[in-house]
Order: sequence, then C-alpha cells, then structure tokens
Amino acid sequence: MNGDEMVTVYIMGKRHRVPANLTIMKAMEYAGYQLRRGAGCRGGFCGACSTIYRMRGSFRLQVALACQKMVEDGMIITQLPFIPSEKKRYNLEKLRPDPGVFLEYFPEIARCLSCNTCTKACPQDLMVMDYVQAALRGDIKTAAELSFDCLSCGLCAVRCPAEIVPYHIGQLARRLYSRYIVGPSHQVQNRVMEIEKGIYDEEIRRLKSLDINMLREIYSRRG
Amino acid sequence: MQKSISLVEETRRERAGRSFPFMSMEERRRILEEWHPDYKPGTKRPLLIGPSRGMIVPHEVADILEAHPLIGPNEIDVTDPEYDVDVLVIGAGGAGLSAALTAQESGIETEGILMVQKLRLGDSNSKMSQGGIQAAVGPDDSPALHFLDIIGGGLFANKPELVEILAKEGPEVIRWHESLGVIYDKNPDGTMKLISGGGTCRNRMLTCKDYTGLEITRVLLDEFLNREIPYLEFTCAVELLTDEQGQVTGAVLWDMDSDEYRVVRAKSTILATGGFGRLHIQGFETTNHYGATGDGIVLAYHVGAVLRDLDATQYHPTGAAYPEQLVGQLCTEALRGRGAQPVNRLGEMFVHPLETRDAESAAIIRECYGRDLGVTTPTGMRGVWLDTPLIDLLHGPGTIEREFHAMYRMFGRFNIDIRKEPILVFPTLHYMNGGVEINPRAETSIPGLFAAGEVCGGVHGKNRLMGNSQLDLYVFGRRAGRYAAERARKVQAGRPTLNHIERYERWLEEAGIKTSRKAPILLPEYRGKRTLEHIIKLL
Amino acid sequence: MSLRLAYYPGCTLKTNARNYEASAIASSKALGIELVELPRWNCCGTVHALAKDDVMHYIAPVRNLIRVEQLKNSGLVDDGRLVTLCEMCYNTLKRADVTVKEDQERRRKLREVMEEEPPYSGGGVEVIHLLQLIREVGWERVKKRLVRPLRGLRVAPYYGCLLLRPRGIGIDDANNPTIFERLIESLGAEVVEIPFKAKCCGSYQTVHMGHVASELSYRILRQAVEGGADVITLACPLCEYNLGERQGEIRGLFPDLKYIPVLYFTQLMALAFGLEDSVGLEMNNPDPRPLLRRKGFP
Repeated sequence: MNGDEMVTVYIMGKRHRVPANLTIMKAMEYAGYQLRRGAGCRGGFCGACSTIYRMRGSFRLQVALACQKMVEDGMIITQLPFIPSEKKRYNLEKLRPDPGVFLEYFPEIARCLSCNTCTKACPQDLMVMDYVQAALRGDIKTAAELSFDCLSCGLCAVRCPAEIVPYHIGQLARRLYSRYIVGPSHQVQNRVMEIEKGIYDEEIRRLKSLDINMLREIYSRRG
Repeated sequence: MQKSISLVEETRRERAGRSFPFMSMEERRRILEEWHPDYKPGTKRPLLIGPSRGMIVPHEVADILEAHPLIGPNEIDVTDPEYDVDVLVIGAGGAGLSAALTAQESGIETEGILMVQKLRLGDSNSKMSQGGIQAAVGPDDSPALHFLDIIGGGLFANKPELVEILAKEGPEVIRWHESLGVIYDKNPDGTMKLISGGGTCRNRMLTCKDYTGLEITRVLLDEFLNREIPYLEFTCAVELLTDEQGQVTGAVLWDMDSDEYRVVRAKSTILATGGFGRLHIQGFETTNHYGATGDGIVLAYHVGAVLRDLDATQYHPTGAAYPEQLVGQLCTEALRGRGAQPVNRLGEMFVHPLETRDAESAAIIRECYGRDLGVTTPTGMRGVWLDTPLIDLLHGPGTIEREFHAMYRMFGRFNIDIRKEPILVFPTLHYMNGGVEINPRAETSIPGLFAAGEVCGGVHGKNRLMGNSQLDLYVFGRRAGRYAAERARKVQAGRPTLNHIERYERWLEEAGIKTSRKAPILLPEYRGKRTLEHIIKLL
Repeated sequence: MSLRLAYYPGCTLKTNARNYEASAIASSKALGIELVELPRWNCCGTVHALAKDDVMHYIAPVRNLIRVEQLKNSGLVDDGRLVTLCEMCYNTLKRADVTVKEDQERRRKLREVMEEEPPYSGGGVEVIHLLQLIREVGWERVKKRLVRPLRGLRVAPYYGCLLLRPRGIGIDDANNPTIFERLIESLGAEVVEIPFKAKCCGSYQTVHMGHVASELSYRILRQAVEGGADVITLACPLCEYNLGERQGEIRGLFPDLKYIPVLYFTQLMALAFGLEDSVGLEMNNPDPRPLLRRKGFP
C-alpha cells in the first residue's frame, strides 16, 4: 500500500484525514489522541481496545480491536472505555463440575435467544453463541474449548440482546475444566515432592560453589 | 519479496529435518560483540547519580533516571493519606496478581491490600507472552539442569541464589496454576506437553496453546476478583513515599481518569510494574505493552534502590518485519521450537533456530546488515524469513492452526497464511534483563520496598531465556506477597514524606544535570506524525 | 448397515433427562437406527415464546434446521430427517419448519436477521419424534428385539399436549391416539388407559404457580393409580418433572395420593431389550426399582 494515501475517518464525530495504512489505534494517535483507556498490548492479546464503528453508507454496526483493524475511508469510530459487568464471585474449591453450575451463577443464560449476535461481534471470530449454549446445557468441556481464545474485550456482552456477559461464563468453564475435568498433573506433583524432599539440593549447591570458569565448562558440555 | 519466497520454497524440503550447527562459546561472544545492539558504541552512558552511579545504561534509560521527579517535594500534602493499608501492590500483571493473592493467603486482611494498575486490570506484558513457561517437570529434566540453562543463558551474571529459587520453585508454580484452573497443554497420556526453547538443554516449555500468558493471567485475575481484593484501575504510581529512616511507606498515585493525586500509606510496597519496551531503546520497535515505560526503575531509583544489569537489553530475534501494521510484534519463539527455521533471502539457513536470544538476534542482524542477505520491505524494513510452513511439514497438517492459533490469526488478518508462506522477521525490543536488584525475599535494597517480575534485576543476568520471565513472575510475585505480608505484620507504618525527592533533586544538581525531562513518563508519546516513525538506529 | 439420522437432543436431555437420552440412543441402536447428534445445536427456541418480537421465536429453531441441512450435505446422515425426544423441542422445531415454509414474510425477515447462515426455506428438514420413527420401523421389529418382555407390568401411557397438538403437527390422532399403546403392547406390557392421557400436566405453570400444576398433575396421577397401573410412561422431560419429581410436593396438597413411578418410554424399551446399562433408573423419582424388582425385572 502506498504510504501517502490518505483516508477520511470520523473519530467520535470529528473528521480527520489520516494515512490509509494505519490501524484504528494509530490513526487515533495520528489525529492527536494520547490514549489512556482503549489501548493495551497493541498486539491483539489483551482486548483493551474494543471499538465500534459504522461505515458511511451502511447501517451495520461493526466491531473491532483498534490495534488490529485498519482504517477505511468513511469509518465512523468510537472506542469503548469500559464494559460494565458484574464478575460473579465463586470459590473454585467449593464448586463442582455439575451441569447446573452455569445456571446457578448465570441464570440469565436461559434468556439466550440463539440470535448469534455475540458470535458476529467477536473480533477473535469465536463461536460465542455456541459456547453460551454449551454452558446452558452444562457441557463444560465444549464451553472451555470454544472460549479458549477469548480476550475478554467485552464486545459480545455489549451486543447481547439477552444481556448475557459471555466472557465470564467462558472463564468459569475453563477453570472448571482444568480443575475438575482434566485434573492436576501427577508428573508435576511428583516433581514438587522430589524438590521438597531436597533431592536436587546437593547438585545445585555444587553448581553454586563452582568458580565461573568451571561453571562455564559444565554449561557448554551439558547435553 | 515474492521472488525470495520462491527461493525459500525451493530449499524447504531439503532443509526440513536438517539442522544448522550451534555456535561455540567463542563464536557466540564474537557475534554478540560485533552485531548485538547492546555492544554498539555510542548507545549508552554511565549513570551520573544515585546508588548505581557509574553503571552503563542505554541513553533512553539514563534519560528517565537523570530526570526530575514528576512532583515537587512540596507540591502535595502526603501527611493525610486517603488509603492506609498493609500491602500496596503496584502493577496488576502476573507478578502483581500473584503477590496480592499470596499476601492475602499469608494472613493480610483483604481490606489491608490495595492493588493499583496504570491501565486496565490484568493488561500487561505477562498477558502477551505466547511461547510458554519453563519448569523442570520432564522425566529427563531437573532443577539443576534448569539452573545451568538460566545462568549460562544469562552470561553467568545472574545472582545464583535467585537462579536457584527460580529453578526449584518452577514445578510448584505449575502445580499452583493447575489448582487454580489454568489449562496447560497435555499429551494424550495426560503428561505435560513440553517443547524446546532457545538455550535450553531439555524440552522444558509448558504451553497453553500460543496464549500462555493470557491464559495464566486471566485465571489469576479471575481469582483476584473472586477474593474481592480492593483495586484501583487506570491509576498509576508517580512517586513512592519514605519515612524519616528512608524506608518506603507507600506511594503517591495519579488517577488517569480524573487527573488527581491520591496518597496511599503502606507498611509494605511491592513494585510489579514491568519493563521498558516503550522507551524504544535505539529506536527499536517493541513487543511490549503500551504501559511498559520503565516507571518502576524510576520510582525505585528515586528512593535510592540499587539497580543492576540494565546495560543488557533483550531483543527478541523474531519480531514481525512485515506487514507494516505488525512491525515489531512478537512471533513466538515456540515457532522455532516446533521447527520453523530462520533463512535468508536466498533460502539458506545461517543460524541454528534455537540459539539464546541474544545470539540469535545478532545473527539475524548480521545477515541483514553485515552480509546484505536480508529482504527489504517497501517501507524500508529489513528482515529474514522465518519458514513457518516447515512446522506443518514436520508435524503434519493442522499443527499450526492447533498450536499457533494466535499467530495464524494475527497474520491472517493481513491475508498472510503462515501455514503456506514464510513470515519476515527482525529483532524487536522485548525485555528488560536487568532492573531493581532483589534478594531471595524479593526485597530491594530499601526496607519496605519489594519488587517482582520484569522490574527486577539479578534473576536472568544479562540475557533471559524464553519462558523464564513467565516463571519469574509467579515465583517472585508469590515471594514478594509472602515477605511483604510478613513485614506488614511486624512493623508500624512510617510517617510518609517526600524527603527523597529533595535528595534526588540535590543529586541532579550536584552532578550538574540540567534538564527539563521529568519521569516516570507513564505513557509513550505517539501523537501526530510520531506514530509513523520507525527509525532503527543500526547503521 | 444401520440407518443414520440427525438427532436433536434439547437441553434437558443433557441434564435432568440424561436417562431419556441414553435409553433412546441405546434402544434405537438396537432397532438399527443410529442417532447422530446434531453438531452445534442450540436451544430449540421454546423459551422464546416469552419474547414479544415474533421473529425471535423462529431464529433458534430455524438455526437448528439449518444445521441439519449442513449435516445432511456433509453425508454424515442418510436423509433430511431430524429425530427429537423432548415434546417441547419436537413441537417447537416442527412448528418453526411449517411456519417458515408457509409464511413468506417471516421467511424473508429471518433471512435478513440470520444473514450469516445459509438460507432456509422450510420443508428441507423433516422433524420427527422418535415414537414416529419406531412406528415406521414397525412394531414387529420391536417385538423381535425383545430380550425380556415386560410381562405383567401395567403401564399407563401419558401423551401430554405437545405430541398431539396442533393438528398437522401432532404425531397421532389428537382425540384417540394409539401410538404409545401399540408400543407398550409390543414390549409385552399391559396398557392401562387413563382418561386424562392427553390433558396438560401443568407445563411451565410449575415455575410460578406450583399449585396449578399440582392440581392438574394430581388428577392424572390419581387416574393412573386408581386404574391399577404400576408405572406411567411418557415422552417429555417437563411432564416427567411435573408427574414424577414433584410427587412429593403434590402429596403435600393431596395426601391420599400413592407414589407411582414415571418412566420415559425409551426406558421401558431399553429394559425390554436387555440394555440395563442404558436404562438409568437411578435418576427417576420416585424410584421405580423396588417395584420393578418385585415384578421380576432386574
């Protein structure tokens, strides 16, 4: 793309001319914003830069992560500084992976209309509605797997007509799945026990006592 | 670029399964001196003030340390704190969250803890880590071998007592994570899936697909919220507080929403503020979070804490060099761990894919700038190919989509299919190897001030290995929480003052430093045309 | 080669009515029918009856019908039929299909709202209930498969409302249904007729007006007991809840009522086919096992 090409965007209604090869985030900075809310890892891993926009000439309300989406001519943009939601408190140790666990903490999932709006709103292209439905029928594994790549950006939650907050449900599903369905690794627990017994202490003590040249020698010969 | 891609394709089958020899210790030393950015003359200077005076650091670091504190000694009244707590945790990434949880488990009342976070709760470099976390859990592995890898990778400059702790507490951290519900990748027989990383003599990397940091951080955050520990988001620390003895006794916060100061008195203060990628050392692009502006080293230095190893900066060998929108972003080392090879413009291998990060980076820079065998992009970035299609070739179709979904998705957004095409990479600023010196109790040299995570120095020496920073966060984060709680139970809260600011201003004056710079800088400055800049000061 | 058919479970079949599903799958298999669970199925749509916007009533069921067409096209099932167990699911899915087919305006609106899915015109999928399928397979085949005929067991069939209504959707004559009776006879058991076999059990009234459901259910239960039935059999998890699970509560209002076990028809089939592992009687309440043991069934 030619670096000189410019496009017109409307940031919270204000018209700006910005280079066409910028992401929404960089375009906002180019336009003079120093972001506080609405910027995070800048690499598509944190979900802090949830953005909604419409294109001129289209009725569609579209969603994006500002750090991952290129500006386009005619984009009308605003960021979402915060997604209101209540994180349900639970004690994982006292939960059990029962089918009814989701309905107990999130009774509103019974209001899911299967409208699929959440899925359409996901910038990670996750099948959000499918994992909410999986939670509704108590299928923890499917809910965990389908929600794994979720960044908690919250866009699904602001679009849901049933006012469900899907990412909280996915989080509970994943923790239950790991804790109770997969279960802890014996391999890890055994190694922790060995270490607590002091099995490796002597060897490490010896390494620590060596002068740097000896240590270097052992390091380069380790295999 | 297309022509060069065909050359890569032509040599792929022949390269598959073949390896390039590792460098000897001598070769590694030579290539670092000649090509690693850390060794480039004119990029650093000795610090003129403070307890680590004389330490050589990059200009960008010296600039924020040799700068006026943001607030003057009499600018705000700190004698009537808005918050009075036992443990203050600054920074809500992996280390800060671990510290807060552990402080509570160590008997500090929930209301006695306060977490402050500059940006959104949980957003951090911790969350962005893709490749994995090291822990010596494999049957052929041991904490002693892990110890050797850490200390050798760190050029033997690490504090051995910290290395020992990191290696020995690794498996316990994984056990803790699993008890909290982190989903680690496992083999069909239930054992942990272990992959290799640069500079490790065993397959020791545990993964959560290529969202390892995201998965761990969000579980810790969920647990943190479950426990109702008080927190302030979009609130950063701009200065620490000290009492008459010079012990740290809280912090001055700045509310990023209301632009107001808030004063916290604390018996123990934990710095978990992360690194400095957003200082763009030598103009390098960075993999780091927006908030990684080195605030912690500035705050610690203001109160007189000793720093170390800040002369060594980690450049991740494989940052994206194309497309333009992704320049600088991380292409996880696990790609190389699973078989992707760096190759030059002619489709030739020139370095073992899993050298330590410093050596791997130096070799890529040499290929581009020393041998002119790199590829130049339309915007003038240079890079070499990382031949990702090898992964599916070696491990079967579907491997990339399954194990590297984040990478596949990131490039896919720009119509690059990493299953079929190689990606162009160049080293990118990744990690602050040094930082505030700590001891095994995560104490800094100043009583009352603890530190954990990337802000610390001593654990990784001059060069950190892949997966050891993730581990470091939890090992030392938990230690910081435990020992900060122990101190808080023993001491009385001191009378908060800003006396150290007066002293710092005096140091600046005595050293003859005349500057308008102020620090910490809190946010990088990208407004206007700066957002278009990338000028790597290589030549 | 068994007949493979798309199968729609519905949410209750995965939770409170797992015994219904397990016994249905096992019994069908015994009859040479492989029930292939519909991938990515969502709620049948029955909860949306509460919504005001009419289009919303159809999105969920129609999306499931689209999934059936996708499954059919993938070749993993043999034809475009969708087998259901829950009466509510059957009714909702079936009605949605008919509506989409007949109502052009609704069809157009649905396409607009569900633009991310392939269009569905109605009629491409035939929603059936497992009872219909068994009738089609033939009572003779059921009889041939018997391992332990249910001789001596007196069974009162209860249809509920949604299997038979409205006309055109119902699987049998709404005034004089016989499909359950034929099945019971084929299994070697004895039919106990009750006058209210197609009257409402109270349905969702159970949520907010428990006493209404209790009164309605009580009449049905009493008829079965007075008619000398050992067990009631039915085809709907909500009916099972009202008639079975809530018997204790009903006895609070009507102390004269005697406990009577309530079983899904598929449980009777699995019992008669010798598929003990799939009967799932431990989930039934009241517990039918003492009675069945008395009658000589394990």
